[in-house]
Amino acid sequence: MSVAAATRSRGVHPPGLGPFTLGGRLGPGFLGLVIGAVLWEMLARVWDQPFFPPFSAVLMRLFELVGSGLIIGNLINSLFNLFIGFTLSAVLGVTIGVLMGAYTKVEMALDVYVYAMLTAPSLVFAPVFFAIFGANDPRPSVIGVIVLYTIFIVIVNTVAGIRNVNRPLIEMGRSYLASDRQLFFKIILPAATPLIFAGLRLGMGRAVKGMINGEMFIAIVGLGAVVTSAGKRFDAEGVLAVLLLIIVVALICVKIVQIIDVRLTSWLPATSKKRRRA
Amino acid sequence: MSEVRALNDQAKTLIEFDRLCKIFPARGDDEPVEALKDVSFDIKDGEFITVLGPSGCGKTTLLRILAGLEQFDSGDVRVDGQSVTGPGPDRAMVFQSFALMPWAKIIDNVAFGLELRGVPKAEREDRAMRLIELVGLKGFERRLPGALSGGMQQRVGLARALAVDPRILLMDEPFGALDEQTRRLLQEELLAIWEASRKTVIFITHSMEEAVLLGDRIVLMSPRPGRIVDVVDVPLARPRSTTIDTIEGSPEFAAITADLWHRLREMQLFRPSTAEAVEADAARVAS
Repeated sequence: MSVAAATRSRGVHPPGLGPFTLGGRLGPGFLGLVIGAVLWEMLARVWDQPFFPPFSAVLMRLFELVGSGLIIGNLINSLFNLFIGFTLSAVLGVTIGVLMGAYTKVEMALDVYVYAMLTAPSLVFAPVFFAIFGANDPRPSVIGVIVLYTIFIVIVNTVAGIRNVNRPLIEMGRSYLASDRQLFFKIILPAATPLIFAGLRLGMGRAVKGMINGEMFIAIVGLGAVVTSAGKRFDAEGVLAVLLLIIVVALICVKIVQIIDVRLTSWLPATSKKRRRA
Repeated sequence: MSEVRALNDQAKTLIEFDRLCKIFPARGDDEPVEALKDVSFDIKDGEFITVLGPSGCGKTTLLRILAGLEQFDSGDVRVDGQSVTGPGPDRAMVFQSFALMPWAKIIDNVAFGLELRGVPKAEREDRAMRLIELVGLKGFERRLPGALSGGMQQRVGLARALAVDPRILLMDEPFGALDEQTRRLLQEELLAIWEASRKTVIFITHSMEEAVLLGDRIVLMSPRPGRIVDVVDVPLARPRSTTIDTIEGSPEFAAITADLWHRLREMQLFRPSTAEAVEADAARVAS
């Protein structure tokens, strides 16, 4: 039967040519990074600017910072805030999104706030948090900023996920006598999972942004504080070194969400998954 | 054959459509649509009924009302004397779009109706396995629907419906999305399964051949407003599952399909509304 062939071809990459196949899937991505680093290095050396240090110098500075112990403590501090902020956003965001998706009245009531806050520059709320939570412990303020950055994109995607559940599937559930509760947990929620996770992935990127922006504003904790102080000392290598680290942290965090996503939605056809990544 | 028919004649009425009317309210600039008008029709226990008509004749609406998925405006639908107010355990539906849960294994899809009814896991998997075998999908029970062809997916849909052991199978153009060869195979298998189980089947189709091949009686519907124009007895012997090729070559089969096509064609070319419009137009020109 042709079905066996069809399943086998799933997920198998077409045979490529030349050096791009060397590292398998990693190949082109890794090559892109190497080319980027080399270009940066060359450009910085040719265009000799004090605020555009070459890649090697930034890398050296990063090792120095890590060696001095300045990075590790602040990184752990930042990641802790990120974890709390993201978890809060995920739980609250999915809950609110589900309610909005399931009940038109809830959506009508909250819609305008969600879209307003989605487009609003969330950092303007940092001083408000600061005033509320006080300057002694900046953690609640940073977490507040992270939540504001993250939660609305999670809500919007969850609403879309719940709303876009295939009609025939819901009718199937009804015709096989599903109660409202069964309909929700056995059909609507699993069917909405891909879009909910798309929201969580985007949310993770925004959470890292919120974390750094919040820390830079409050300027006494975390990686954001390290960047700010390096900036004040006109330490371009330092700023770029921490930025590099932040990007790596962000990519790893998004990757973690992605791994969970792939495990939960392995049933999606390979083609639509590719489309989602693009 | 005569034996089967005699049996059917004795069988009691199971489903009654009683002056059923359904109007889809106006939406935007569109006029309200009279999907069903005064549809009255009885179906006997164990009958295989095919419903045939051009698109827009309300045949799917009729089935959805019987399934309890759609409200109606007036008249009544009764199953075993009880008015239909919603979905029930006595009816199971097979969907044109298959409506399988893409995240659930075949066995879990087949067992879904039983799961919703609280049948214990071991028992429902046991039953699901037997039906997976019946529809010829043994070995695929741990696969996901996405790994199956359309024909195989609809076998899963059929197994899921049979798993809850309904009295009535509701089939909404179940083979409409399949290619010709797959459809032929599934028609044969459906006939074999029906011959063995004798459930009451209401089967919606837009194919004349399919309607004749499968049905004891063909309900012929016409659009705008959707109504029953005729109920055609199919005088072909049963069982048919093993003799499909002979049936299709027979003059009887050719005569019925030709007659059906003649009437369907007329319906679509000369709808009353079209004829009236032409007349009105002519009158306007004349005056």
